Amino acid sequence: MNEVVLDCMGEACPVPLIKAQNKLKELALGDLLIVQIDHSCAMKNVPEWARKEGYNVEVEEVDDGEWEVIIEKTK
Amino acid sequence: MSENETVSSIQRSPRSRASTRKPKVNQIPFGVLLLLITIGMGIMLNIQSSNLALFFITGICFGFILQKSRFCFTASMRDPYLTGSTSVTRMVLVAFAITTIGFTAIKYGYLQSGLPIPGMGYVVPISFATIIGAFLFGIGMVIAGGCASGTLMRVGEGFTMQILSLIFFVIGSLWAAHDFEWWKFHVISKGKPIFLPDIFGWFGAVIVQLLIILFLYIAAEKYQKARTIKDQQNN
Amino acid sequence: MSAYKELINKINKNEFYKRWLKDAWPYITGAVLLSLFQIVTLATTKNPWGVTGAFANWGAWIYEALGGSVDKWYYFSSDGAQATLQAGFLKDPGSIRNIGIIIGALLATLLASQFKIKKIKSKKQIFAAILGGLLMGYGARIAYGCNIGALFSGISSLSLSGWIFAIGMFGGAIVGGKLLVKYFM
Repeated sequence: MNEVVLDCMGEACPVPLIKAQNKLKELALGDLLIVQIDHSCAMKNVPEWARKEGYNVEVEEVDDGEWEVIIEKTK
Repeated sequence: MSENETVSSIQRSPRSRASTRKPKVNQIPFGVLLLLITIGMGIMLNIQSSNLALFFITGICFGFILQKSRFCFTASMRDPYLTGSTSVTRMVLVAFAITTIGFTAIKYGYLQSGLPIPGMGYVVPISFATIIGAFLFGIGMVIAGGCASGTLMRVGEGFTMQILSLIFFVIGSLWAAHDFEWWKFHVISKGKPIFLPDIFGWFGAVIVQLLIILFLYIAAEKYQKARTIKDQQNN
Repeated sequence: MSAYKELINKINKNEFYKRWLKDAWPYITGAVLLSLFQIVTLATTKNPWGVTGAFANWGAWIYEALGGSVDKWYYFSSDGAQATLQAGFLKDPGSIRNIGIIIGALLATLLASQFKIKKIKSKKQIFAAILGGLLMGYGARIAYGCNIGALFSGISSLSLSGWIFAIGMFGGAIVGGKLLVKYFM
């Protein structure tokens, strides 16, 4: 099981989501993708997309205006 | 985030956790301070002109609502194609439907009282300039990461990139104002405004418009479902 | 100091604070509240909400401050436009409302304790911001408005121009999306 960190700090919508979508395709089953973002809209649309796809998702506020979205590739 | 403090279902290695961060400075006091300053500004504006104060207050409300709900008109147009999500698109359609009903009620009330109908300045001529302008605007908002209201909101959130795009937004506006005479006499004047009640009657116009919105809503939801399945198969 | 910390802790744990000020609202809440304030705006000011009209005035004021003159420009030739330019920034309702939007967003961000200055990350972002800003500014003027004035307010005013604007913008957004993925990512 791998943990891949995707740095999207300073990236505006929709870049974090597209990067996350592309990165997740490369990962193997059971891997974790940690998307680091500081864009308040991405903090809503990245988890929304991942949940829609049926992955396990968690959002953690790591600092003021900084989040980590943790996506588990479950399928 | 309340939902994240629940028992974690995802097992992460402790190493990747951001545990060594500096302690957070809570910003709520700054927020309260800004709120007090804002109230003060509102009172000052009100002394000058209650109309200015009204615009100020509605601006504050629009900014607050846009930020809190992350409402993004850019995403509503961009996401269907780019990411396959239509959740914002559908909510924009809901806003169109509600506002249509409210606006029409106000206008109809004025009409019944024999007064000039308000807001008719926004029923503008349809010409190639509408399409070209909208098309340029559509490209611009996607690459700049926000439309006009979105840019203002993101300036408030602290985005340096949007401060830059706001500056060039103003320059672009001035540039077009400079060229406006040409557009007006060569393009815009060739089109005319179309006010739907003039075609369908007042009730008819509302019903036709709500039906179009309903159709688009259903289409957007079906599209998202189809796209999700297609994307999963491609994985 | 500890009393202050305790207070902050208490606020942070408060259920209503979390729901209304800390967490993002659902999109539907935004849709309903924006509609409400659109209706308030039309009822009280006799005009729907618009954003970009004021930007042209900002441009004119800056241009005149730099020694230029827009007096001969057709766009600013109406009495209304001249009066607005004469009165200045602090007396222009549209400009005040735009400042309100910035402050409102800042207020929401601070009360959620999520404010952060986000620096420009790359040259690509600079280029995207400049090009995007220019295209939006120019486009909005010739199409009589932006997502708010031409689209949201236009459609809600039962003007066919709003729907035509939507079609043009949807096409632009697709092209913009392709450009973004290819050159700005």
